[in-house]
Amino acid sequence: MIESQSLQKISVESVRVSEDLRHAWLDLLEGCKAWRVWLLLAWQDIRLRYRRSTLGPFWITLSMAITIYSMGLLYSKLFKMDLNQYYPFLATGMLSWNLISSLLSDAPTIFVDAESFIKQIKQPYCSFIFRAVARNLIIFAHNTLVLVPIMIFFHMPFHYVSLLFGLSLLLIVLNASGYGMLLAILGTRFRDIAQLVTSLLQVIFFLTPIMWSSKVLSQKYQFVVELNPFAHMLNLIRDPLLGIVPPLYSWLVILGITAFGLLAAFIVFARYRARIAYWL
Amino acid sequence: MVFLKLNSVSVDFPIYSITARSFRQCVLQLTTACTLGKSKRNRVTIRALDNVSFELTHGDRVGLIGHNGAGKSTLLRVLGQIYEPIQGTVISSGKISTLLSLGLGSNLESTGYENIVIQGLLLGLTREQIHLKIDDIAQFSELGSYLSMPVRTYSSGMQLRLSFAVATCFKPEILLMDELIGAGDQGFMKKAQMRLSNFVNQCSIMVLASHSTETIKQFCNKAIFMERGQLRYFGPVQEALAHYEACS
Repeated sequence: MIESQSLQKISVESVRVSEDLRHAWLDLLEGCKAWRVWLLLAWQDIRLRYRRSTLGPFWITLSMAITIYSMGLLYSKLFKMDLNQYYPFLATGMLSWNLISSLLSDAPTIFVDAESFIKQIKQPYCSFIFRAVARNLIIFAHNTLVLVPIMIFFHMPFHYVSLLFGLSLLLIVLNASGYGMLLAILGTRFRDIAQLVTSLLQVIFFLTPIMWSSKVLSQKYQFVVELNPFAHMLNLIRDPLLGIVPPLYSWLVILGITAFGLLAAFIVFARYRARIAYWL
Repeated sequence: MVFLKLNSVSVDFPIYSITARSFRQCVLQLTTACTLGKSKRNRVTIRALDNVSFELTHGDRVGLIGHNGAGKSTLLRVLGQIYEPIQGTVISSGKISTLLSLGLGSNLESTGYENIVIQGLLLGLTREQIHLKIDDIAQFSELGSYLSMPVRTYSSGMQLRLSFAVATCFKPEILLMDELIGAGDQGFMKKAQMRLSNFVNQCSIMVLASHSTETIKQFCNKAIFMERGQLRYFGPVQEALAHYEACS
Protein backbone atom coordinates (compact mmCIF):
# COMPACT_ATOMS: atom_id res chain seq x y z
CA MET A 1 0.00 0.00 0.00
CA ILE A 2 2.68 2.45 1.06
CA GLU A 3 4.83 1.26 -1.78
CA SER A 4 2.18 1.96 -4.39
CA GLN A 5 1.65 5.42 -2.91
CA SER A 6 5.31 6.26 -3.13
CA LEU A 7 5.43 4.87 -6.66
CA GLN A 8 2.53 7.11 -7.58
CA LYS A 9 4.35 10.07 -6.03
CA ILE A 10 7.43 9.32 -8.09
CA SER A 11 5.44 9.07 -11.30
CA VAL A 12 3.68 12.40 -10.60
CA GLU A 13 7.05 13.95 -9.91
CA SER A 14 8.55 12.58 -13.13
CA VAL A 15 5.61 13.90 -15.16
CA ARG A 16 6.21 17.35 -13.63
CA VAL A 17 9.91 17.24 -14.45
CA SER A 18 9.32 16.19 -18.04
CA GLU A 19 6.72 18.95 -18.41
CA ASP A 20 9.25 21.47 -17.05
CA LEU A 21 11.88 20.29 -19.52
CA ARG A 22 9.41 20.46 -22.40
CA HIS A 23 8.40 24.03 -21.52
CA ALA A 24 12.04 25.08 -21.22
CA TRP A 25 12.79 23.58 -24.63
CA LEU A 26 9.77 25.32 -26.19
CA ASP A 27 10.90 28.60 -24.63
CA LEU A 28 14.33 28.14 -26.19
CA LEU A 29 12.87 27.40 -29.62
CA GLU A 30 10.49 30.35 -29.48
CA GLY A 31 13.32 32.57 -28.26
CA CYS A 32 15.32 31.63 -31.36
CA LYS A 33 12.31 32.25 -33.57
CA ALA A 34 11.80 35.70 -32.04
CA TRP A 35 15.15 36.93 -33.40
CA ARG A 36 13.45 39.95 -34.92
CA VAL A 37 12.38 41.12 -31.49
CA TRP A 38 15.63 40.65 -29.59
CA LEU A 39 17.82 41.93 -32.37
CA LEU A 40 15.73 45.09 -32.59
CA LEU A 41 15.77 45.50 -28.81
CA ALA A 42 19.55 45.05 -28.77
CA TRP A 43 19.97 47.73 -31.42
CA GLN A 44 17.58 49.98 -29.58
CA ASP A 45 19.54 49.58 -26.34
CA ILE A 46 22.65 50.84 -28.08
CA ARG A 47 20.96 53.57 -30.08
CA LEU A 48 19.17 54.99 -27.06
CA ARG A 49 22.31 55.09 -24.98
CA TYR A 50 23.93 57.35 -27.55
CA ARG A 51 20.91 58.99 -29.15
CA ARG A 52 21.87 62.56 -28.35
CA SER A 53 25.51 62.35 -29.34
CA THR A 54 26.90 62.90 -32.82
CA LEU A 55 29.39 60.04 -32.66
CA GLY A 56 26.68 57.60 -31.67
CA PRO A 57 27.86 54.14 -30.69
CA PHE A 58 31.36 55.11 -31.71
CA TRP A 59 31.69 56.82 -28.36
CA ILE A 60 32.31 53.35 -26.97
CA THR A 61 35.04 52.82 -29.55
CA LEU A 62 36.62 56.18 -28.78
CA SER A 63 36.73 55.65 -25.03
CA MET A 64 38.11 52.16 -25.59
CA ALA A 65 40.79 53.56 -27.90
CA ILE A 66 41.86 56.19 -25.37
CA THR A 67 42.12 53.59 -22.61
CA ILE A 68 44.10 51.13 -24.69
CA TYR A 69 46.45 53.62 -26.31
CA SER A 70 47.34 55.40 -23.07
CA MET A 71 47.60 52.18 -21.05
CA GLY A 72 49.79 50.62 -23.74
CA LEU A 73 52.24 53.48 -23.62
CA LEU A 74 52.50 53.45 -19.83
CA TYR A 75 52.58 49.69 -19.21
CA SER A 76 55.05 48.92 -21.96
CA LYS A 77 57.47 51.15 -20.05
CA LEU A 78 56.53 49.57 -16.71
CA PHE A 79 56.93 46.01 -17.98
CA LYS A 80 59.92 47.08 -20.14
CA MET A 81 58.36 45.46 -23.20
CA ASP A 82 58.72 46.32 -26.85
CA LEU A 83 55.84 48.53 -28.04
CA ASN A 84 55.72 46.42 -31.22
CA GLN A 85 54.72 43.43 -29.19
CA TYR A 86 52.95 44.98 -26.26
CA TYR A 87 50.45 47.16 -28.14
CA PRO A 88 48.83 44.36 -30.17
CA PHE A 89 48.91 42.10 -27.09
CA LEU A 90 47.24 44.65 -24.83
CA ALA A 91 44.71 45.83 -27.42
CA THR A 92 43.46 42.34 -28.29
CA GLY A 93 43.47 41.39 -24.61
CA MET A 94 41.50 44.44 -23.52
CA LEU A 95 38.96 43.96 -26.32
CA SER A 96 38.40 40.33 -25.40
CA TRP A 97 38.18 41.11 -21.70
CA ASN A 98 35.77 43.94 -22.33
CA LEU A 99 33.48 41.53 -24.20
CA ILE A 100 33.65 38.85 -21.51
CA SER A 101 33.25 41.21 -18.58
CA SER A 102 30.37 43.21 -20.06
CA LEU A 103 28.53 39.98 -20.90
CA LEU A 104 28.95 38.81 -17.31
CA SER A 105 28.15 42.09 -15.62
CA ASP A 106 24.98 42.57 -17.70
CA ALA A 107 23.74 39.03 -17.03
CA PRO A 108 22.32 39.29 -13.47
CA THR A 109 20.01 42.14 -14.40
CA ILE A 110 18.72 40.74 -17.70
CA PHE A 111 15.27 39.79 -16.36
CA VAL A 112 15.13 42.61 -13.83
CA ASP A 113 15.67 45.16 -16.61
CA ALA A 114 13.08 43.45 -18.78
CA GLU A 115 10.43 43.53 -16.04
CA SER A 116 8.15 45.86 -17.99
CA PHE A 117 8.13 43.39 -20.91
CA ILE A 118 7.86 40.21 -18.87
CA LYS A 119 4.96 41.44 -16.75
CA GLN A 120 2.96 42.72 -19.69
CA ILE A 121 3.11 40.19 -22.43
CA LYS A 122 4.14 36.58 -22.70
CA GLN A 123 7.55 36.40 -24.28
CA PRO A 124 10.09 33.58 -24.35
CA TYR A 125 12.58 34.25 -21.52
CA CYS A 126 15.45 33.15 -23.74
CA SER A 127 14.91 36.11 -26.04
CA PHE A 128 16.00 38.49 -23.27
CA ILE A 129 19.22 36.51 -22.84
CA PHE A 130 19.82 36.66 -26.59
CA ARG A 131 19.12 40.39 -26.53
CA ALA A 132 21.92 40.94 -24.00
CA VAL A 133 24.33 38.71 -25.94
CA ALA A 134 23.53 40.45 -29.23
CA ARG A 135 23.93 43.89 -27.66
CA ASN A 136 27.39 43.07 -26.34
CA LEU A 137 28.48 41.51 -29.61
CA ILE A 138 27.43 44.65 -31.47
CA ILE A 139 29.44 46.78 -29.04
CA PHE A 140 32.38 44.41 -29.48
CA ALA A 141 32.14 44.82 -33.26
CA HIS A 142 32.36 48.60 -32.82
CA ASN A 143 35.33 48.18 -30.50
CA THR A 144 37.34 46.04 -32.92
CA LEU A 145 37.89 49.21 -34.94
CA VAL A 146 40.45 50.15 -32.27
CA LEU A 147 42.65 47.41 -33.73
CA VAL A 148 42.81 48.96 -37.20
CA PRO A 149 45.36 51.74 -36.45
CA ILE A 150 47.47 49.28 -34.45
CA MET A 151 47.43 46.76 -37.31
CA ILE A 152 48.53 49.42 -39.77
CA PHE A 153 51.08 51.09 -37.54
CA PHE A 154 52.78 47.89 -36.35
CA HIS A 155 52.41 46.08 -39.69
CA MET A 156 50.45 43.15 -38.28
CA PRO A 157 50.10 40.72 -41.20
CA PHE A 158 46.94 38.74 -41.87
CA HIS A 159 47.13 35.14 -40.76
CA TYR A 160 44.87 32.31 -41.83
CA VAL A 161 44.94 31.30 -38.18
CA SER A 162 42.80 34.34 -37.48
CA LEU A 163 39.86 32.48 -39.02
CA LEU A 164 39.82 30.40 -35.83
CA PHE A 165 38.45 33.54 -34.24
CA GLY A 166 35.02 32.63 -35.64
CA LEU A 167 35.04 29.41 -33.66
CA SER A 168 36.09 31.25 -30.50
CA LEU A 169 33.28 33.72 -30.98
CA LEU A 170 30.80 30.84 -31.25
CA LEU A 171 32.08 29.47 -27.93
CA ILE A 172 31.71 32.94 -26.39
CA VAL A 173 28.09 33.09 -27.56
CA LEU A 174 27.31 29.64 -26.15
CA ASN A 175 28.94 30.47 -22.81
CA ALA A 176 27.31 33.87 -22.63
CA SER A 177 23.91 32.25 -23.21
CA GLY A 178 24.44 29.41 -20.73
CA TYR A 179 26.09 31.26 -17.88
CA GLY A 180 24.05 34.35 -18.75
CA MET A 181 20.87 32.36 -18.10
CA LEU A 182 22.23 31.01 -14.79
CA LEU A 183 23.26 34.47 -13.61
CA ALA A 184 20.04 36.05 -14.85
CA ILE A 185 17.89 33.60 -12.85
CA LEU A 186 20.10 33.91 -9.77
CA GLY A 187 20.19 37.70 -10.13
CA THR A 188 16.40 37.90 -10.29
CA ARG A 189 15.97 35.92 -7.08
CA PHE A 190 18.93 37.49 -5.23
CA ARG A 191 19.29 41.14 -6.06
CA ASP A 192 22.86 41.51 -4.76
CA ILE A 193 24.28 39.09 -7.33
CA ALA A 194 24.90 42.02 -9.70
CA GLN A 195 27.18 43.76 -7.22
CA LEU A 196 28.88 40.48 -6.38
CA VAL A 197 29.66 39.83 -10.05
CA THR A 198 30.97 43.37 -10.55
CA SER A 199 33.40 43.11 -7.66
CA LEU A 200 34.52 39.62 -8.66
CA LEU A 201 35.21 40.87 -12.19
CA GLN A 202 37.56 43.50 -10.76
CA VAL A 203 39.62 40.80 -9.07
CA ILE A 204 39.58 38.53 -12.10
CA PHE A 205 40.82 41.40 -14.29
CA PHE A 206 44.06 41.52 -12.31
CA LEU A 207 44.43 37.75 -11.99
CA THR A 208 44.07 37.19 -15.74
CA PRO A 209 46.88 37.87 -18.20
CA ILE A 210 45.33 40.87 -19.89
CA MET A 211 47.82 43.62 -19.14
CA TRP A 212 50.61 41.20 -18.31
CA SER A 213 51.82 38.20 -20.25
CA SER A 214 51.80 34.79 -18.59
CA LYS A 215 55.47 34.48 -19.61
CA VAL A 216 56.54 36.88 -16.87
CA LEU A 217 55.21 34.51 -14.21
CA SER A 218 57.73 32.10 -12.75
CA GLN A 219 57.05 28.37 -13.03
CA LYS A 220 55.93 28.31 -9.42
CA TYR A 221 53.03 30.68 -10.08
CA GLN A 222 51.94 29.36 -13.47
CA PHE A 223 48.94 27.77 -11.78
CA VAL A 224 47.32 31.21 -11.53
CA VAL A 225 46.97 31.09 -15.31
CA GLU A 226 46.55 27.33 -15.70
CA LEU A 227 43.59 27.13 -13.34
CA ASN A 228 41.96 30.36 -14.49
CA PRO A 229 39.15 29.65 -16.99
CA PHE A 230 39.17 33.30 -18.02
CA ALA A 231 42.81 33.01 -19.08
CA HIS A 232 41.87 30.10 -21.35
CA MET A 233 38.90 31.95 -22.81
CA LEU A 234 41.16 34.93 -23.41
CA ASN A 235 43.67 32.67 -25.19
CA LEU A 236 40.94 31.52 -27.54
CA ILE A 237 39.99 35.05 -28.55
CA ARG A 238 43.32 36.81 -28.42
CA ASP A 239 45.66 34.24 -29.96
CA PRO A 240 43.88 33.96 -33.33
CA LEU A 241 43.88 37.76 -33.64
CA LEU A 242 47.64 37.77 -33.01
CA GLY A 243 48.16 34.98 -35.55
CA ILE A 244 48.84 32.23 -33.02
CA VAL A 245 46.97 28.91 -32.76
CA PRO A 246 45.50 28.74 -29.25
CA PRO A 247 46.86 25.82 -27.19
CA LEU A 248 44.87 22.58 -27.31
CA TYR A 249 44.61 22.58 -23.52
CA SER A 250 42.68 25.88 -23.63
CA TRP A 251 40.26 24.50 -26.24
CA LEU A 252 39.57 21.44 -24.11
CA VAL A 253 39.06 23.42 -20.91
CA ILE A 254 36.67 25.85 -22.58
CA LEU A 255 34.76 23.08 -24.37
CA GLY A 256 34.25 21.36 -21.02
CA ILE A 257 33.15 24.58 -19.34
CA THR A 258 30.76 25.33 -22.20
CA ALA A 259 29.15 21.90 -22.08
CA PHE A 260 28.73 22.13 -18.31
CA GLY A 261 27.31 25.65 -18.51
CA LEU A 262 24.74 24.81 -21.18
CA LEU A 263 23.58 21.70 -19.34
CA ALA A 264 23.36 23.44 -15.97
CA ALA A 265 21.58 26.43 -17.50
CA PHE A 266 18.99 24.21 -19.15
CA ILE A 267 18.27 22.26 -15.98
CA VAL A 268 18.07 25.35 -13.77
CA PHE A 269 15.93 27.14 -16.35
CA ALA A 270 13.54 24.19 -16.61
CA ARG A 271 13.23 24.09 -12.81
CA TYR A 272 12.76 27.83 -12.18
CA ARG A 273 11.32 29.20 -15.43
CA ALA A 274 7.79 29.57 -14.07
CA ARG A 275 9.07 31.36 -10.95
CA ILE A 276 10.87 34.18 -12.76
CA ALA A 277 7.76 36.31 -13.24
CA TYR A 278 6.92 35.94 -9.54
CA TRP A 279 10.37 37.05 -8.45
CA LEU A 280 10.19 40.32 -10.35
CA MET B 1 -12.81 27.92 -31.66
CA VAL B 2 -11.65 30.55 -29.25
CA PHE B 3 -11.94 29.85 -25.53
CA LEU B 4 -10.32 30.48 -22.18
CA LYS B 5 -10.79 28.01 -19.35
CA LEU B 6 -9.60 28.21 -15.76
CA ASN B 7 -9.70 25.11 -13.60
CA SER B 8 -9.47 25.82 -9.85
CA VAL B 9 -6.52 28.14 -10.32
CA SER B 10 -4.57 29.36 -7.31
CA VAL B 11 -1.66 31.78 -7.29
CA ASP B 12 0.67 32.49 -4.37
CA PHE B 13 3.03 35.41 -4.31
CA PRO B 14 6.25 35.01 -2.41
CA ILE B 15 6.98 38.05 -0.29
CA TYR B 16 10.65 38.20 0.47
CA SER B 17 12.21 40.09 3.32
CA ILE B 18 15.24 42.16 2.46
CA THR B 19 17.59 39.52 3.84
CA ALA B 20 15.93 36.82 1.76
CA ARG B 21 16.66 38.85 -1.37
CA SER B 22 20.34 39.01 -0.56
CA PHE B 23 22.57 36.17 -1.67
CA ARG B 24 25.24 37.16 0.85
CA GLN B 25 22.76 37.10 3.74
CA CYS B 26 21.37 33.74 2.66
CA VAL B 27 24.81 32.21 2.54
CA LEU B 28 25.64 33.70 5.94
CA GLN B 29 22.38 32.39 7.34
CA LEU B 30 23.16 28.97 5.97
CA THR B 31 26.40 28.84 7.94
CA THR B 32 24.90 30.15 11.18
CA ALA B 33 21.94 27.80 10.77
CA CYS B 34 24.38 24.92 10.69
CA THR B 35 26.06 25.94 13.91
CA LEU B 36 22.90 26.89 15.76
CA GLY B 37 21.00 23.93 14.45
CA LYS B 38 18.00 25.88 13.29
CA SER B 39 17.05 27.36 9.96
CA LYS B 40 14.82 30.36 9.72
CA ARG B 41 12.96 30.77 6.45
CA ASN B 42 11.57 34.24 6.50
CA ARG B 43 9.34 33.68 3.52
CA VAL B 44 5.73 34.76 3.53
CA THR B 45 3.31 34.00 0.76
CA ILE B 46 0.19 35.84 -0.14
CA ARG B 47 -2.63 34.05 -1.88
CA ALA B 48 -3.55 36.32 -4.75
CA LEU B 49 -5.96 33.95 -6.46
CA ASP B 50 -7.83 31.25 -4.59
CA ASN B 51 -9.44 28.37 -6.44
CA VAL B 52 -10.78 30.38 -9.38
CA SER B 53 -12.65 28.53 -12.11
CA PHE B 54 -14.60 29.82 -15.07
CA GLU B 55 -14.90 29.40 -18.78
CA LEU B 56 -15.15 32.05 -21.48
CA THR B 57 -16.15 31.46 -25.06
CA HIS B 58 -16.45 33.59 -28.17
CA GLY B 59 -18.45 36.77 -27.92
CA ASP B 60 -17.78 37.15 -24.21
CA ARG B 61 -16.88 40.69 -23.23
CA VAL B 62 -16.16 40.32 -19.57
CA GLY B 63 -15.70 43.08 -17.04
CA LEU B 64 -13.54 42.36 -14.01
CA ILE B 65 -14.65 44.25 -10.92
CA GLY B 66 -13.47 44.26 -7.35
CA HIS B 67 -11.68 46.40 -4.79
CA ASN B 68 -8.00 47.20 -4.90
CA GLY B 69 -5.99 44.06 -4.28
CA ALA B 70 -8.88 41.74 -5.10
CA GLY B 71 -6.72 39.96 -7.66
CA LYS B 72 -7.95 41.56 -10.86
CA SER B 73 -4.53 42.31 -12.35
CA THR B 74 -3.16 38.96 -11.22
CA LEU B 75 -6.09 37.20 -12.88
CA LEU B 76 -5.41 39.09 -16.12
CA ARG B 77 -1.76 38.06 -15.97
CA VAL B 78 -2.73 34.45 -15.37
CA LEU B 79 -5.07 34.61 -18.36
CA GLY B 80 -2.24 36.11 -20.39
CA GLN B 81 0.05 33.24 -19.33
CA ILE B 82 2.48 35.61 -17.67
CA TYR B 83 2.03 34.03 -14.25
CA GLU B 84 1.80 30.27 -14.28
CA PRO B 85 -0.52 29.13 -11.48
CA ILE B 86 0.88 26.97 -8.70
CA GLN B 87 -2.33 24.94 -8.67
CA GLY B 88 -4.94 24.35 -11.32
CA THR B 89 -4.72 24.80 -15.05
CA VAL B 90 -5.32 27.47 -17.65
CA ILE B 91 -6.34 26.17 -21.04
CA SER B 92 -6.82 28.55 -23.93
CA SER B 93 -7.08 28.55 -27.66
CA GLY B 94 -6.67 31.71 -29.70
CA LYS B 95 -4.15 34.46 -30.13
CA ILE B 96 -3.87 36.54 -26.96
CA SER B 97 -3.08 40.24 -26.90
CA THR B 98 -2.48 42.00 -23.59
CA LEU B 99 -2.82 45.68 -22.83
CA LEU B 100 -1.93 45.74 -19.16
CA SER B 101 -0.26 49.08 -18.79
CA LEU B 102 0.45 52.07 -20.98
CA GLY B 103 3.28 51.83 -23.42
CA LEU B 104 4.23 48.17 -23.65
CA GLY B 105 7.94 47.99 -24.23
CA SER B 106 7.86 51.61 -25.10
CA ASN B 107 10.94 53.61 -24.65
CA LEU B 108 10.21 57.23 -23.90
CA GLU B 109 13.13 58.39 -26.01
CA SER B 110 11.99 56.46 -29.08
CA THR B 111 9.58 57.93 -31.58
CA GLY B 112 5.99 56.81 -31.98
CA TYR B 113 6.88 54.91 -35.15
CA GLU B 114 9.70 53.02 -33.45
CA ASN B 115 7.37 52.08 -30.64
CA ILE B 116 4.76 50.81 -33.06
CA VAL B 117 7.35 48.52 -34.62
CA ILE B 118 8.56 47.20 -31.25
CA GLN B 119 5.08 46.68 -29.86
CA GLY B 120 4.00 45.01 -33.08
CA LEU B 121 6.97 42.64 -33.04
CA LEU B 122 6.30 41.81 -29.38
CA LEU B 123 2.71 41.00 -30.28
CA GLY B 124 4.02 38.57 -32.86
CA LEU B 125 3.65 40.52 -36.10
CA THR B 126 6.29 40.69 -38.79
CA ARG B 127 7.71 43.98 -40.01
CA GLU B 128 5.74 43.71 -43.27
CA GLN B 129 2.50 43.22 -41.38
CA ILE B 130 3.29 46.20 -39.18
CA HIS B 131 3.96 48.42 -42.19
CA LEU B 132 0.60 47.46 -43.63
CA LYS B 133 -1.08 48.46 -40.36
CA ILE B 134 0.73 51.71 -39.79
CA ASP B 135 -1.81 53.87 -41.65
CA ASP B 136 -4.64 52.31 -39.67
CA ILE B 137 -2.77 52.94 -36.41
CA ALA B 138 -1.93 56.52 -37.32
CA GLN B 139 -5.53 57.18 -38.27
CA PHE B 140 -7.06 55.61 -35.19
CA SER B 141 -4.61 57.15 -32.73
CA GLU B 142 -4.99 60.58 -34.40
CA LEU B 143 -1.35 61.23 -33.70
CA GLY B 144 -0.45 62.32 -37.23
CA SER B 145 2.91 64.04 -37.27
CA TYR B 146 3.41 63.35 -33.56
CA LEU B 147 4.33 59.80 -34.56
CA SER B 148 7.81 60.97 -35.50
CA MET B 149 8.32 62.63 -32.11
CA PRO B 150 9.70 60.92 -29.00
CA VAL B 151 7.00 59.28 -26.88
CA ARG B 152 8.09 61.28 -23.83
CA THR B 153 6.39 64.31 -25.42
CA TYR B 154 3.01 62.51 -25.49
CA SER B 155 0.21 63.02 -23.01
CA SER B 156 -1.10 59.90 -21.28
CA GLY B 157 -4.19 60.02 -23.49
CA MET B 158 -1.99 60.01 -26.59
CA GLN B 159 0.04 57.10 -25.24
CA LEU B 160 -3.18 55.22 -24.54
CA ARG B 161 -4.47 55.80 -28.05
CA LEU B 162 -1.20 54.55 -29.52
CA SER B 163 -1.02 51.43 -27.32
CA PHE B 164 -4.68 50.66 -27.84
CA ALA B 165 -4.41 51.08 -31.60
CA VAL B 166 -1.44 48.71 -31.80
CA ALA B 167 -2.92 46.11 -29.46
CA THR B 168 -6.14 45.98 -31.45
CA CYS B 169 -4.81 46.56 -34.96
CA PHE B 170 -4.42 42.89 -35.83
CA LYS B 171 -7.70 41.63 -34.45
CA PRO B 172 -6.48 39.46 -31.59
CA GLU B 173 -8.78 36.61 -30.73
CA ILE B 174 -8.45 37.33 -27.02
CA LEU B 175 -7.83 40.82 -25.64
CA LEU B 176 -6.93 41.41 -22.00
CA MET B 177 -7.01 44.98 -20.70
CA ASP B 178 -6.33 46.56 -17.33
CA GLU B 179 -7.92 49.86 -16.26
CA LEU B 180 -6.78 51.55 -19.41
CA ILE B 181 -9.79 52.97 -21.10
CA GLY B 182 -10.39 55.40 -18.24
CA ALA B 183 -7.52 57.59 -19.41
CA GLY B 184 -9.21 58.43 -22.70
CA ASP B 185 -11.57 61.30 -23.35
CA GLN B 186 -15.18 61.06 -24.57
CA GLY B 187 -14.26 60.97 -28.24
CA PHE B 188 -11.76 58.20 -27.70
CA MET B 189 -14.23 56.17 -25.64
CA LYS B 190 -16.66 56.23 -28.53
CA LYS B 191 -14.05 55.16 -31.08
CA ALA B 192 -12.66 52.50 -28.75
CA GLN B 193 -16.11 51.08 -28.26
CA MET B 194 -16.69 50.92 -31.99
CA ARG B 195 -13.38 49.20 -32.56
CA LEU B 196 -14.00 46.75 -29.74
CA SER B 197 -17.53 45.88 -30.80
CA ASN B 198 -16.13 45.45 -34.27
CA PHE B 199 -13.79 42.71 -33.24
CA VAL B 200 -16.09 41.13 -30.72
CA ASN B 201 -18.34 40.49 -33.70
CA GLN B 202 -15.55 38.35 -35.08
CA CYS B 203 -15.88 35.77 -32.34
CA SER B 204 -13.40 37.04 -29.82
CA ILE B 205 -13.06 37.30 -26.09
CA MET B 206 -12.30 40.46 -24.17
CA VAL B 207 -11.54 40.73 -20.48
CA LEU B 208 -11.40 44.23 -19.07
CA ALA B 209 -10.55 45.14 -15.48
CA SER B 210 -11.94 48.46 -14.32
CA HIS B 211 -13.13 50.38 -11.29
CA SER B 212 -15.52 52.43 -13.38
CA THR B 213 -19.01 50.95 -13.51
CA GLU B 214 -19.70 53.20 -16.51
CA THR B 215 -16.87 51.60 -18.49
CA ILE B 216 -18.01 48.11 -17.58
CA LYS B 217 -21.59 48.85 -18.58
CA GLN B 218 -20.43 50.38 -21.84
CA PHE B 219 -18.07 47.64 -22.99
CA CYS B 220 -19.10 44.38 -21.37
CA ASN B 221 -21.90 41.86 -21.58
CA LYS B 222 -20.74 39.78 -18.60
CA ALA B 223 -18.89 40.55 -15.41
CA ILE B 224 -16.77 38.81 -12.82
CA PHE B 225 -16.76 40.12 -9.26
CA MET B 226 -13.60 39.29 -7.35
CA GLU B 227 -13.01 39.59 -3.63
CA ARG B 228 -9.78 38.68 -1.80
CA GLY B 229 -8.59 36.50 -4.63
CA GLN B 230 -11.83 34.55 -4.87
CA LEU B 231 -14.42 34.60 -7.59
CA ARG B 232 -17.64 35.84 -5.95
CA TYR B 233 -19.88 36.19 -8.92
CA PHE B 234 -19.79 35.49 -12.63
CA GLY B 235 -22.75 36.44 -14.75
CA PRO B 236 -24.69 39.36 -16.19
CA VAL B 237 -23.24 42.82 -15.64
CA GLN B 238 -26.16 44.21 -13.64
CA GLU B 239 -26.12 41.45 -11.02
CA ALA B 240 -22.34 41.53 -10.68
CA LEU B 241 -22.44 45.28 -10.13
CA ALA B 242 -25.18 44.81 -7.57
CA HIS B 243 -23.00 42.31 -5.66
CA TYR B 244 -20.06 44.69 -5.90
CA GLU B 245 -22.06 47.62 -4.55
CA ALA B 246 -23.56 45.50 -1.78
CA CYS B 247 -20.03 44.73 -0.64
CA SER B 248 -18.70 48.28 -0.65
